[in-house]
Amino acid sequence: MQGLLSFDKAPPFAAPLRFFLTAPFFGLLAGLLIVWEGPSLLVSRWTPSTLAATHLLTIGFMLQTMLGALIQILPVVAGVNLANPLRVARWLHAGLSSGTLLLVAGFLFGQPDALASAAIILGLTLASFLVVIIPPLLRAPSSSPTIRGLKLAMLGLAGTVVLGVVLALALAWGWPLPLLALADLHAAWGLGAWGGVLLAAIAYVVVPMFQLTPGYQARLSWWFPVLIFACIGFWSVSLVFELPPLGQLAQVVASLLGLVFCVITLRLQFKRRRARADATYRYWQLGLSCTIIALFSGLTATFWPVVANSSEWPLLFGILLIAGGFVSFIVGMLYKIVPFLAWLHLQNLGQSKVPAPAMNKILSEKDMNRQMVCHVLAIALALGAVFLPEWLARLAGLAFVVANVFLIWNLAGAVSRYRQHALLIAQKLAAL
Amino acid sequence: MSHPKTPHVVDARYMEPPEPFTKTMEMLDTLKEGEKMLLLLFREPHPLYRVLKQNGHAYEVELVADGTFEILIWP
Repeated sequence: MQGLLSFDKAPPFAAPLRFFLTAPFFGLLAGLLIVWEGPSLLVSRWTPSTLAATHLLTIGFMLQTMLGALIQILPVVAGVNLANPLRVARWLHAGLSSGTLLLVAGFLFGQPDALASAAIILGLTLASFLVVIIPPLLRAPSSSPTIRGLKLAMLGLAGTVVLGVVLALALAWGWPLPLLALADLHAAWGLGAWGGVLLAAIAYVVVPMFQLTPGYQARLSWWFPVLIFACIGFWSVSLVFELPPLGQLAQVVASLLGLVFCVITLRLQFKRRRARADATYRYWQLGLSCTIIALFSGLTATFWPVVANSSEWPLLFGILLIAGGFVSFIVGMLYKIVPFLAWLHLQNLGQSKVPAPAMNKILSEKDMNRQMVCHVLAIALALGAVFLPEWLARLAGLAFVVANVFLIWNLAGAVSRYRQHALLIAQKLAAL
Repeated sequence: MSHPKTPHVVDARYMEPPEPFTKTMEMLDTLKEGEKMLLLLFREPHPLYRVLKQNGHAYEVELVADGTFEILIWP
């Protein structure tokens, strides 16, 4: 029976793993940058080091893991198979990693050439990825809210990349563009139309599957990605045609939709059938709580300009949504996906003759929970550092460094144990 | 539930992978000529679809209001 697990279509472990193992190094770099720069990084969201740290997390950590995970799960959640996933993973990983490093260097050292090169490398890499992934995805009928969500998310990624490339080139070559407004739009596309829609599309599958919760109501899951996308679309139109009330309305509706999604997911988790809370569950609870506070503060800022115009609010919003929300969801999923893939590949290696070890033998619950404590501490310190930068900024950076080194240790340990078990299984098979 | 009733149901909504897959394959082996089975899941099982197609089985899918995918399968 195990042979029938349709394993033939699963991408090799090396395809997603390179992304999962690289991402925490970018998180580590973000932590080191905060330690290096200290309080000056928290003066405003527009300082070069803040832009660098933000992109170390959004592209270096988030986009790395999101795209790596997509290569792995597209066959499972959408029935979409890439012709050569390992080859795609190789060039995508190389382009993404080198482009991120160049972009960060461009921001930090004010180097127009580095910024322009980063824009070209990231733009070409991500455009090629979309060219590879969109045709098979479009051929798949939208038979589930997940598939429809994935299609919209790809459009969201395309919009984010176009805006990002234009912004980086405008910064490098001095194009006369409204950079601040475009940067807001770039962030909305990246965190809403791409990140938010992708997260929802994947959550529809993984929350019930991994946490044994009830499913998302069909109507909500069909419409959530479409409505988020419509909000970001109206927001964009409001900027082009200078219609601020329309933009505000779009922001309010998008925040409310995000809140609804988070509250529903929390409710589903409370109804879970798995008695014991595991690291993935705890990480999702953390992510949902941070996202709810971020979106609620976003609503407050829309109605209360004093908050929106303060230098603290955008930093708090960014820390809560990016480090508290997205990074938490992602680490929570990595802690499920990496041991599961290791188990699946070992199961396959054993050819139904030698059983694979249990998943907790690949990555222990205790190690995951300890790492999470460091992550929570890093977020709490970063939030505190917005108000007390002199006291807490470097400590927050240090906590990010420790949390990411711990994550690297956990993931690398899982891979090392996977390799040991693979050798053992090969030896046992040879002895049969 | 809008699919025709069948006594052969695998309610896999609170099962962890690969249990839904194995239970479905086991039940398919027990079906007699003309019988159908119903698989209930909170997601679409694309890897299972592939195996069903390879083995010459037919299936129909419907997403109902509570988020359950009802997958009717017959040999």
